[in-house]
Amino acid sequence: MGEFLLQLFPGIGTFFEMETSVAIARVVLIFAGFALAYLGFKGTLEPLIMVPMGLGMIAVNCGMLFLADGEIGNIIISPLISDNDALMTIMQINFLQPIYNLTFSNGLIACLVFMGIGARCEVSFMLAKPWSSMIIAIFAELGTFVALVLGVAAFGLPPEHAAAVATIGGADGPMVLFASLMLAPELFVPIGIIAYLYLSLCYGGYPYIIKLMIPKKYRGLDMIVEVPEVSQKSKFLFIAVICTILCLLLAVAAPLILSFFLGMAVKEANIEKYITLCEDGLSYFATFFLGLLLGVLCEASTILNPTVVVLLVLGILALAISAVGGIIGGWLMYLWHKRKGEDFNPTIGVAGVSCVPTTAKLAQHAAQDENPFAVILPVAMGANISGVITSAIVAGIFVATISMVTG
Amino acid sequence: MNIFTYALMSYGLMAVIALAVTAVIVGISKVTGGSAAKEDDA
Repeated sequence: MGEFLLQLFPGIGTFFEMETSVAIARVVLIFAGFALAYLGFKGTLEPLIMVPMGLGMIAVNCGMLFLADGEIGNIIISPLISDNDALMTIMQINFLQPIYNLTFSNGLIACLVFMGIGARCEVSFMLAKPWSSMIIAIFAELGTFVALVLGVAAFGLPPEHAAAVATIGGADGPMVLFASLMLAPELFVPIGIIAYLYLSLCYGGYPYIIKLMIPKKYRGLDMIVEVPEVSQKSKFLFIAVICTILCLLLAVAAPLILSFFLGMAVKEANIEKYITLCEDGLSYFATFFLGLLLGVLCEASTILNPTVVVLLVLGILALAISAVGGIIGGWLMYLWHKRKGEDFNPTIGVAGVSCVPTTAKLAQHAAQDENPFAVILPVAMGANISGVITSAIVAGIFVATISMVTG
Repeated sequence: MNIFTYALMSYGLMAVIALAVTAVIVGISKVTGGSAAKEDDA
């Protein structure tokens, strides 16, 4: 009778047929899925990612069954299939397998998200204070490089793995997915999950770093911001030229660079139907499946990998140090502008961490909390967009040159 | 190359490329008659 029931309800039966540690990990992940979905529902974490991700985690860890070959698995996704014949068979069984293999493991989904981000970016913001924006963005990559060094020197990770997880410091989800696919495909799943989890936590953690590093009177500093009038022709020209230069210099990151600037180009060319497609269609399609796939990839084996603890530590360090670096850049720009008798709110520094547009909004909120009339969003958005460019450059450099690191 | 040298080199390279991109942005803006970066011109 017991055997019959276990066969009838394999989701429960498999708990008794697997190792205790794996069974416990499944239970932990089911509760974690509930927590993420609920926090997404409440708006504490990013709902666009967390609701599908949380439910995906619940389903994949509950829906385990005995497969034909006697092994325990699921009919949602099998990320580790590498044999072509087996893949063709499994694609006809696992319902998310085609999405995973055709959009995830080749980076297409990251590119689609990037097209949406590009279509939402306004070039004029970057032209408000281009040098300041870019210098802040350069400082805001500090966490990426510190995490890279720590990963190799302190945690003993291979340089490729350390570089992949270090890109979390750029706070650019699609870029992290892309870099981890190129540099550490075996760690792509945990790095992707950690990256998106932490990016959601930016919203909660960064205000504390801002308060810690910037006294109240400086946080509320108002600025005279003139967003320059730039013709669409100029903007389109700028997009085409920068895309050309970056693709020439960073060929390995060309898919992401193309996607980002294509989104921007579509917007400036005013092609309404494509703007809607990029902003509403592709972007939400990609974000939905990104969340869902990250969720269903959270199998017990993922968190039982001992490297995950190292990735968790490095990821949070990278993001925190990048925020600190960005704010240091913000202070430098404050001092630089002060010399010229101008005001510059150092809070903008945190927007150099390129989580578009979250960190720019955070900077604006932090300023407005102290001074309701402070408007720093246009310059913060400029730093945000510059951060996307620096993250793309970093990813390109890592993918092309990390093999130069020895010992 | 050890990791420290690599990190410094790649950080520097990233900064140089990013600043070059900014110079192009400012240059295009000036050539096409935009008003960008006047206050940032150092």
